[in-house]
Amino acid sequence: MAGAGAAALAPAVRLTDVTKRYGPVVACSGVDLELLPGEVHGILGENGAGKSTLMKILIGLVQPDDGAIALGGREVVIHDPQTAAQLGIGMVHQHLSLVEALTVWENVLLGDTSKFDRSTARRQVMETADHYGLAIDPDRCVGELSAGLRQRVELIKCLRRDPKILILDEPTSVLTPAESEQLFTTLRDVVATEQRAVALVSHKLAEILHATDNVTIMRQGRVVERCRTSEATASSLARAMVGREVLLRASAAALGATDLVDDLSDAGVSATTDVIAAPIVDTRPVVLRIDGARVVRDGVAVLDDLHLEVRAGEIVGVAGVEGNGQRELGDLLSSLVTLDGGCVTVNGVTARTGRAGSMAELGVGVIPEDRHDSGCVLDLSVAENLLLDRMESITRFGIVDRRAMRRRAIELMREFDIQASGPDAMFASLSGGNQQRVVLARELGQRPEVLVAAQPTRGLDVGAIEYMSNRLRAAAASGIAVLLVSTELEEILELSDRIVVLSRGRVIGELDRREATSERLGLLLGGVETDPNGAHV
Amino acid sequence: MTATISSPGSSTGPSTAASTAKLVGLYVLAVAIALALSAALIAVTGGPWRKVFTALIDGSVRNPGRWGDTLTEAAPLLIVALGAIITARAGLVNIGQEGQLAVGAATAAYVATNGSGPLVLIGALVAGFVGGALWAGIAALLRYWRKVPEVISTLLLVFVASQGTGYLLTRTFLLLDDDPNKPNRVQTSGQLDPDTRIGFIRIFGNEFPWSVVLAVVLTVAVALLMNRSIWGFRLTVLGRNARTAQRIGVPVVIAGASALALSGAFAGFAGAVMFAAGSANYRYTPGFANNIGWEGLLVALVARNRPLACIPVALVFGALRTGSGFLAATGVERSIVDVVRSLLVLALLVPPAVIAIQRRRVTPPPAPVSTDEPVVAVAR
Repeated sequence: MAGAGAAALAPAVRLTDVTKRYGPVVACSGVDLELLPGEVHGILGENGAGKSTLMKILIGLVQPDDGAIALGGREVVIHDPQTAAQLGIGMVHQHLSLVEALTVWENVLLGDTSKFDRSTARRQVMETADHYGLAIDPDRCVGELSAGLRQRVELIKCLRRDPKILILDEPTSVLTPAESEQLFTTLRDVVATEQRAVALVSHKLAEILHATDNVTIMRQGRVVERCRTSEATASSLARAMVGREVLLRASAAALGATDLVDDLSDAGVSATTDVIAAPIVDTRPVVLRIDGARVVRDGVAVLDDLHLEVRAGEIVGVAGVEGNGQRELGDLLSSLVTLDGGCVTVNGVTARTGRAGSMAELGVGVIPEDRHDSGCVLDLSVAENLLLDRMESITRFGIVDRRAMRRRAIELMREFDIQASGPDAMFASLSGGNQQRVVLARELGQRPEVLVAAQPTRGLDVGAIEYMSNRLRAAAASGIAVLLVSTELEEILELSDRIVVLSRGRVIGELDRREATSERLGLLLGGVETDPNGAHV
Repeated sequence: MTATISSPGSSTGPSTAASTAKLVGLYVLAVAIALALSAALIAVTGGPWRKVFTALIDGSVRNPGRWGDTLTEAAPLLIVALGAIITARAGLVNIGQEGQLAVGAATAAYVATNGSGPLVLIGALVAGFVGGALWAGIAALLRYWRKVPEVISTLLLVFVASQGTGYLLTRTFLLLDDDPNKPNRVQTSGQLDPDTRIGFIRIFGNEFPWSVVLAVVLTVAVALLMNRSIWGFRLTVLGRNARTAQRIGVPVVIAGASALALSGAFAGFAGAVMFAAGSANYRYTPGFANNIGWEGLLVALVARNRPLACIPVALVFGALRTGSGFLAATGVERSIVDVVRSLLVLALLVPPAVIAIQRRRVTPPPAPVSTDEPVVAVAR
């Protein structure tokens, strides 16, 4: 009996000092993690904290640069997901990896290398499903299933292989509250009766508190805290997740940015940081107003009664974990989405959402989340891309004046320091940073009323990030209403005067930059609504 | 910052001398292989292969009056190809020219045989234009209303067009010639009045209709519109990135649908021109389109969707049509003649395809920005 007790205490998996670098970026740094059998272990952190990388290491999708993995006390090397499967590690991915054209049972069997016959396979799938109370029709086509049922298929697929260690990566991001509840009931069962070890990766405070026994909190690739869930509160978790140094560093950057902004004022832009430091500035006119915006896709409200105001000269940061309506918000302001309810007004004029060019006409410039998606035409020249939306101005009798186009392009390239072999270079041949500058130059060159910058620094190097930040500050200083949509909290904190947090397509909280504490931000990001006094409901 | 300029795109630009030489070399090679294969094929089946090639050249240019015929054949091919280019620009694929051409010719015939007066010719040409546009408009409607892929709808509408115009030729109140002294029982439309036919230009013993000049003028106009006009620019943006187009104010549905309709209009116009220039004795007949629609599509393909390049390509295709008319006289079996012609067409299609594949290998399209974890995106 004593032996059995000791075995139960030995960790099912132990990661020691695991490190993974991507070039200069450290995704995981000296991470230690133990998963115990019979326990749900929460791994909490915001976007880019390194949670997913860590889990990918565990199932062999990513090879660590350093560190050791031990299963049941024995050190192992996990080359690939097949090895992981043989070792008894199973994972339910955040973005489901099912084949829509295949049926449920076919999907469950996918990846098996052994022989099988149809009836046995179907029976096995049904047995697994019944055993865990995950009712499903094995002959349904996965393409016809709801997101919740699809995830159930993934879970069955995983459990059928009888894993000792089960990893769930953001499992509730596609689920309704009722479906989430059912998932956690199943997990409890799996853990309590079968002594499996479960890792639950999440950024949602409520589900970490509700469903886990232990929690490890990661931030910027490091483990910053670990504790028993029973000893944690939403507030303590939120503080640990966001971290004080993020706030401190961000305010330092905002203050230290003065000299950088001065550089830009030489270029004729009168920029000061006073706007940021000024006390209450609500007298400035509201330029962009989104009122009760609602967008429904496949029966799910991706924007749900969204209210948002941006005043002239301010930067409003839209924070939130990826997939909470950011993309739809960007599309809405790019005339790519028609509202199912509510309205968007710019300087009091109501936009005809979804009509080609309607937002651009009202003076909304957009740096899209994915510039290749709606920000450029890859196989046109730099000049054409720079003047994409104002060819009319250099057109006479319907014919584009190429000379004028080149001249205007060269001016913009100079002003925005765009490195290219010339205005006729193909846009696709530019580096990412220069491509982003082309987009920025075009959008600012139109002298917009509103500038929407969605993930403006994603994928850029340090210098390009700094340049982009300065440009956004200068844009606000010149009176443009700037809406910054970003999943990177530091970027939001560094640039925004005001911060709103998106969750499930709605704004669940708004705070002034100066009153942004790690706790309040963390709670909001974790999907916990708060009132201005900080008490969460 | 010290951003390095990587310009893999500029080194493989289509306009460099090296790549032009390569393209010409590829054409020579491909045509040589096609000719060798054809010669071998004819020899194996016991035919006189030298005679076959002589006949091709005699039939297309060398014999008296033949190059005029070649020009006459090339004009509708060229007009059809221009239409194909317009849809390709808009990122759509219209492969139903054969049907649009038939409908255009039939509507032209209807107007021409029911109208009278000096403006009948112009009326007929306009009717062809409108008929083709309406026929392609069905595909456009299906595309934007019901999301039916236009590749499929335009293709299938070819068969509807051929059956539909065939039906028109069974009723005298529609298209069937009601002349009681009709020479035979073949169902054709009435004949176009001699005063209202397209005039012919005669030089050096050759004659070709004015529509040849018209086709060249149209080509220059389309080239100008495509490459220099704001309309062409917007169409290009639409074709290459519809979401960007929508954002900058190009109405995707209207622009796309009108490009498709315009393309059909060109095919229909080509049909009207053929009718009025007497390609079937100034009558609309069953099988009137006679593959001009399909081959016009190939012209655009070989010319890699560049309007001006369509002129020489259309001439070559026209020459193959007139030349193969003489092949029958060599005693070579008809099916072999068809194979020879197809081999030559194939040879013309290979070089642009090779170039396109090579270019894709040299400059892979940039991967979309990762929406995965930011860490990974930075690392890339």
